[in-house]
Amino acid sequence: MTAVPVPMRLAIVLVVGLTVQLTVFVDVRVAGVAPELLALVAVSAGFVAGPQRGPVVGFLSGLLWDVYLPTPLGVAAVVFASVAYGVAMFSEGLFRDSRAQMAAILGLASTVCVIGYALLGSIVGGSGLLSFGLLGIAVVVGLVNALLSPIAALMVAWALDGEAQFR
Amino acid sequence: MAPSRGFAPPRRRILLLVLCGFTLLTLDLSRFGPIGSAQSLVRDLLHPVVEVAGAIVSPFANAWNAVFDYDDLETQNRALQAELDQLRGTALEVDAEREAFRRLLAATEIPYLGEVERVTAMVVRRGIGNFDDDVITIDKGSTSGITTGMAVVTGAGMVGRVDRVDSTTATVQLLSDSSMVVGVRLTDNDEIGLGSTIPNEPRVFRIDRGLDWPLDGDLSVLPAVGTPVVTAGSSRYPAEIPIGRISAVESADDDRSMIVLVEMANDVTDLSYVTVLLAEGMSQISSEVVVPSTSTAPAADAGEG
Repeated sequence: MTAVPVPMRLAIVLVVGLTVQLTVFVDVRVAGVAPELLALVAVSAGFVAGPQRGPVVGFLSGLLWDVYLPTPLGVAAVVFASVAYGVAMFSEGLFRDSRAQMAAILGLASTVCVIGYALLGSIVGGSGLLSFGLLGIAVVVGLVNALLSPIAALMVAWALDGEAQFR
Repeated sequence: MAPSRGFAPPRRRILLLVLCGFTLLTLDLSRFGPIGSAQSLVRDLLHPVVEVAGAIVSPFANAWNAVFDYDDLETQNRALQAELDQLRGTALEVDAEREAFRRLLAATEIPYLGEVERVTAMVVRRGIGNFDDDVITIDKGSTSGITTGMAVVTGAGMVGRVDRVDSTTATVQLLSDSSMVVGVRLTDNDEIGLGSTIPNEPRVFRIDRGLDWPLDGDLSVLPAVGTPVVTAGSSRYPAEIPIGRISAVESADDDRSMIVLVEMANDVTDLSYVTVLLAEGMSQISSEVVVPSTSTAPAADAGEG
């Protein structure tokens, strides 16, 4: 397909996602909420690459995000990998012919990622993660990530060397 | 997708990933050195990429802010102008008092804030995610002499402490994080206590440990509203860093201890430049629990975090 090996392409996608998150979405927020691009990459991988490779990409994506988050290393990695696996298992039997269907699944999965991160982060001692605003944040992240999902899915599909299953 | 030969089945693979994640989590929680170093290395490696990308997208981000936050900026500008006029008026008075105070601290051998070496840093990033509003990233790190735990201030007073240090950047935990406990001194009566901000109220600091309510009912000994509160000499931070001014004094539910509410001098939600005081903690955290005491012995270092 291309000369660039898969790990390199995956690294490019992850670093691009992280960089955009750390630069653009520090200021550009919707209702005070930033989209979660690395969660989007994770769930897109589950959707695009299935249960074999999707959770691995989700884990790496979460691990990279963990490096910058105040919670201990591994919180986002565990959550993103688990949700990516869930997305992969759920969408495996679907007949995928609709971008709206993909956006809905990835948006909902992103919402689950945010809630899962807050729950696990709180369990391991993170402060300020569980609040009344959590649901609002999770819903806004889900909506914005749903809008961004076609781009994310294309990038992940490119990174994983044509493993894309959506049309 | 056809199952790949040589790969673990998906269910086993996800279990391995989760196990791996929890192992990393446990190691990080137990402050296993190489984990922290590896994270720091990744951040340092990616720093140039993020910095260049930040420079490229900053006009876009500024335009976004100009469109969506213009009214806020205008209001803020007017308020700042009024505040600046007021500050100019009090500057001379403060200079005179500072000199007298320096002499007093020298006599008591408490390190004076003005003598502490410091580094000024620019805030390069506010909270990056949706759950870290109480964290900022500054453009100075270990190469500038910054280490974890150092106090971070502005001209108005304390804003937080250094939480994580990389070679060229550092992360600061702001005082608005209610889990950050600071030992403070009430300048009106020299009493020492422990306090932190109230969740979701980043400008209100609440001192609720170490202060006794007068059991004899003599309310004249209560600290006066409007008097300053500063970091205590026995605190893990340098002494006399301003925290704010007392806005209310009340008794706790048990009628034996005192709760003091302080309006913070700094608005930690809107910072552009900060100063890191290059001084190690004055004392270590004690595992003792602070209980209200009838003695006047300082207890501010206990339980401070």
